[in-house]
Amino acid sequence: MSISLSHLTKHYAKTRAVDDVSAEIKHGSLTAILGPSGSGKSTLLKLISGLEKPDEGTVTIDGEDMTHVDPRHRDIGFCFQHYAPFRHMNVAKNVAFGLKVRKRPKMEIDERVGDLLSLVKLEGKAKSYPSQLSGGERQRMALARALAIEPRVLLLDEPFGALDAVVRAELRQWLKELHGQLHVTTVLVTHDQQEAMEVADQLIVMRAGRVVQSGNPLALYESPATDFVHEFLGPSTIFEGEVTRPHDLELVSVHQGQMKGRITSIVSLGFEAQVTVELSDATSTWVQLSRNELSAMGLRVALLVGVRRREDVDG
Amino acid sequence: MNTTPKWALRAVVLFYLGVLIGLPVTFLVVKALGHGFGPFWSEVTQPNALSALKLSLEVAAIAVPINAVVGVGAALLIARHKFVGKRVLDTLFDVPIAISPIIIGIALVLAYSKIGWFGAPLTRYGIKVLFSPLGIILATMSVSLPYVLRSILPVLTEVGEDQEQAARTLGAGRFRIFWNVTLPSIRWAVLYGVTLTIARTLGEFGAVLVVSGNITGVTQTLPIYIFDSWDQRFDVLGSYSGALVLALISIGVLAILAALKRREKNLLVDFA
Repeated sequence: MSISLSHLTKHYAKTRAVDDVSAEIKHGSLTAILGPSGSGKSTLLKLISGLEKPDEGTVTIDGEDMTHVDPRHRDIGFCFQHYAPFRHMNVAKNVAFGLKVRKRPKMEIDERVGDLLSLVKLEGKAKSYPSQLSGGERQRMALARALAIEPRVLLLDEPFGALDAVVRAELRQWLKELHGQLHVTTVLVTHDQQEAMEVADQLIVMRAGRVVQSGNPLALYESPATDFVHEFLGPSTIFEGEVTRPHDLELVSVHQGQMKGRITSIVSLGFEAQVTVELSDATSTWVQLSRNELSAMGLRVALLVGVRRREDVDG
Repeated sequence: MNTTPKWALRAVVLFYLGVLIGLPVTFLVVKALGHGFGPFWSEVTQPNALSALKLSLEVAAIAVPINAVVGVGAALLIARHKFVGKRVLDTLFDVPIAISPIIIGIALVLAYSKIGWFGAPLTRYGIKVLFSPLGIILATMSVSLPYVLRSILPVLTEVGEDQEQAARTLGAGRFRIFWNVTLPSIRWAVLYGVTLTIARTLGEFGAVLVVSGNITGVTQTLPIYIFDSWDQRFDVLGSYSGALVLALISIGVLAILAALKRREKNLLVDFA
């Protein structure tokens, strides 16, 4: 189901949390709303869900104006940042909640809960309480609970924010696969650009309550509309007064460079190395190299080098 | 860590509790049952004592549920809604704790006497508040008003709104959210508040004394009967016996709460 947001504005006291936001979210897409904290992305998600009411603007889901529809009638699945499990209910009862509200027959509920628990790989945990689950399991339970009502739209607020790095990477991959199976229109909010780039097929980048740029992740990475998007979506540095990706620069001999400078530090991060160069115009930039490039060139601190844009990039 | 300070601390706490509560209660038991169970029982079962006990229980049976409902409602209002005068409302609920019950009693007398603001119209309709059980119920409700609210409010704030919002997105209406989500998450706080309210209700003396007029057999609650036996009728055994009954009821209420809590813990892993 497609979602259309038109001129949404939401104030809290005197701050504009969301400021004249318009966006289109395609049917079946997995869209990430990406922005630093305080950019209004979570508020935007709550406006889509109806948990917050906009001061101005409209929310349309699948052509139906939902702006004044109570969240309980919107058919949305919402996963909260801290999962909001019903702590006094076991996993099966949590997942069954939305179906019970809809007064489905008990047989049907039991069957559906079983299916969902195997979908989220919690088959053995039906009788466990949320306090007995790990963070990742709670997250999956919250997802199963939201999916139980066969929502038109799935909304996830910082879905992996509270998990450790390994679990986070696993869940990300799993979410992407799940989305591939179910094709439910999904919107997730994150401040982590890597997470957004990896999971989403559409990005909406926000800053200070406004949408700065939206589109597919690669397009945004390759041609960011502003310096902010450029810096936010990936590593960046300044070369000849322009924001540039450090992997779009290369180190060459002094006379071959567009500028020359002296290496001030070399940091090796496994496969990748970051080489910082102080340029002749007294600015400093950094260049991202592979480990092989680093060792082949015999670079060391204090060496004089030339810096230039890689030819295949800068046409 | 060294265990000596722990033992010392435990001893100090036990001594303190002993001096404040243990010894006096022990003396009470000894004095009430000192002449054997027979005299105690005949004191407790004499008509005026029984009618005082009955009135106390009746007052509690009315005041406690009303205050529980009002307390839960007010706590939800304060924790979950924004409105003008919220802070004033919050503070007003503390008034009964802050001021002496005797002041509440006198204020009620002023309001409900034949020439008072509420008293005059009510008298016209033949409703008598002062020197009647109705006045006792009002006084008791006033002094025991804050306990449920004060027990629930911090828990409600701590639990947060997420679970309720999640239930809402899953299609639940207000009523279902309250019964299936909110109430279960504050049930221990509610029970604790109700227990305190019962204890306070049964024990209230000052405010009730002022509004009840102390009519033996009619408007005498158990605490007033105990005081009356002691101070007016010089019936010390009657006083000790009544006091022991009152103490046992309150301890019984606390014991039930503790038992329920233990049972719950066995059923459920604690939500830390």
